[in-house]
Amino acid sequence: MDIDDILREVDPTYHVVPRERRDLQDLTRAWVAERSAPELLHWPAGGLFERIHDNIKRQIEKVEEMTGDMDPKTNFALIVIQTELERFRYLVRSYIRARIAKIDRHALHYLSTDELRSRLSEMELAYATRHQALLHDHYLASFLSSFPPPLQNLNDTAGNITMIDAPDLESAVFIRLLKDTLVEGRGVDADGAMDGRESDIVILRWSDAKPLIDAGSAELV
Amino acid sequence: MPMYGDLGNKLVQHAKRTQNLTHLPPYQAELVRSVAREVRDLDKDVASMLEPFQGSFDPSAHQAMACTLLVNHLSMRRNKRCLLAYHRTRTDKLEELVWSGYDVLDLSAQQTAGEEDYVRQYGDLLAAYKGQWTDIDLTGSLEPPRDLFIDVRVLKDAGEIQTEYGAINLTKNSQFYVRQGDVERLIAQGYLQKLA
Repeated sequence: MDIDDILREVDPTYHVVPRERRDLQDLTRAWVAERSAPELLHWPAGGLFERIHDNIKRQIEKVEEMTGDMDPKTNFALIVIQTELERFRYLVRSYIRARIAKIDRHALHYLSTDELRSRLSEMELAYATRHQALLHDHYLASFLSSFPPPLQNLNDTAGNITMIDAPDLESAVFIRLLKDTLVEGRGVDADGAMDGRESDIVILRWSDAKPLIDAGSAELV
Repeated sequence: MPMYGDLGNKLVQHAKRTQNLTHLPPYQAELVRSVAREVRDLDKDVASMLEPFQGSFDPSAHQAMACTLLVNHLSMRRNKRCLLAYHRTRTDKLEELVWSGYDVLDLSAQQTAGEEDYVRQYGDLLAAYKGQWTDIDLTGSLEPPRDLFIDVRVLKDAGEIQTEYGAINLTKNSQFYVRQGDVERLIAQGYLQKLA
């Protein structure tokens, strides 16, 4: 995974204004984080995806404009732009697919509370709700409708066992510290703490890493 | 004498096997019916056992019966989980097929009418979701792109395709140097093979 390559692709000579470069950085960060975190993260706020979508659209138009030109120089630029475009598309696609995979896996969990629902984008919320309804209909048609009514729910919590599966928040993640900070982690036998330095890479439980990420002291790698 | 939950266990074994297959094995309709029947029978047993008590059952006074009831309850719930797991495994498999671009008509005839409906509706849902990302093919390759152009060999006649550099006629055993984005779908469907 050559993130550096991708970042290098956005060369200043392609009159990229800083905002666009920042967007790419945000996208790359969100993508890396989403792929390593065991649970669904917040959908990026501030219209990041709207801007990226517009950029992609603009580049596609530019490619179409330039295609007619037979000048070798334009042709070369065209290939560079198309390569960049493909990489952008890959990032967005991979990011969205990673999120959908998580949503599909634990749909009822993410739909269960307002706090969790707020992590999904509007589109994802609609998708998850509809998908869950489809599944429920399918279960009903296949066997659930012949069950005694008290057993027909999909969200029983009888006997202190909830039917709703949730992601494992105790699984391990790697994080890179963005500033000097105290890192605390819970272990199996004993808890540990260390004075972390900037750019240290640490492995610890996601539930311990989350506060650091939320505070902006660390990023997922 | 079969025990409670034996049938459910069989379903789970079927589900486990399904996970490792590339195709969808036949639906175990008889098994599903039997497990559901077991749940209904257990529920009837519980109801008839509790009937004489008129809702005033005291577990500490009838410990043996409380134990029977508990086992019955647990068996019912376990059966339900087995059924859910079995169906979810199958729908996951079907969704995977929808994502990789199969049409409901191309699927093997192993799915039930209910599952076919499910595939159709999930396909619609996915199409609607994809429609919001018109410029990014969400079902495209999840391999990071390295080269814009790739060498491909044609495995099956795929007819003529339009690219921005003109039309290419894809006849069997020919080789082309083409833009990856133009032929991704055909590679996924097995018409073309990517050459390293």
